[in-house]
Amino acid sequence: MKQKMTWEEMKKAYPDEWLLITDYKLDQFGRVASGVVERHSKDDQEVFQPPAPNKSCAFEYTGEYQFPGGLRAHADHNHF
Amino acid sequence: MQIITTFDVSRRYIFLPVFVTTESKKRYKFNALLDTGAPATEFSDEALQVLGLLEKTKQDISLKPGLQTQKYGRVTLFQIEICSHPIDNLEVYVSHFDKSWGIKALIGLDFFRRFRVTIDYKASHLVTNPL
Repeated sequence: MKQKMTWEEMKKAYPDEWLLITDYKLDQFGRVASGVVERHSKDDQEVFQPPAPNKSCAFEYTGEYQFPGGLRAHADHNHF
Repeated sequence: MQIITTFDVSRRYIFLPVFVTTESKKRYKFNALLDTGAPATEFSDEALQVLGLLEKTKQDISLKPGLQTQKYGRVTLFQIEICSHPIDNLEVYVSHFDKSWGIKALIGLDFFRRFRVTIDYKASHLVTNPL
């Protein structure tokens, strides 16, 4: 049986990985505070592979967000 | 009804949890970025595939210069909850997201068309009211 973990434990056990988590609880910011990790991988396609478990689940990433958004990113990309 | 949603001001962007409920009543949580530069809400093709809304993802998609995502279709979500506001039958774009970004959804300007949104960084929260 898979064990319930805190978000800090998940980050330590699965750094820079995508997670599929069930039986989760959320913190004040709506982030997963604890839950059961059903799938984990650095390859998002492995975690998002259907079918999902037949229960509510959360998808989380333990690494730093790298979204290159905003006008600055657009300017950098186009060397303005 | 006015709803207050807290967010983490220490992060570079505003990230919000969104909950998608399918017709089979399964509820999925994703992290979404509030993006006033996106004309409409977008979901990654992989996220929509696991929801059962997309049969398969396109493998030959590459990002065009200057674009942050690559849209290639549209689907309708049975229900999505953003800032605790349920929205039925929301049409969203199917997009290719780079896996390194760590997100699978963008909340776009269609949300701002439905709700008055006040961003209060000092209080670390958003105030949303249906229009």
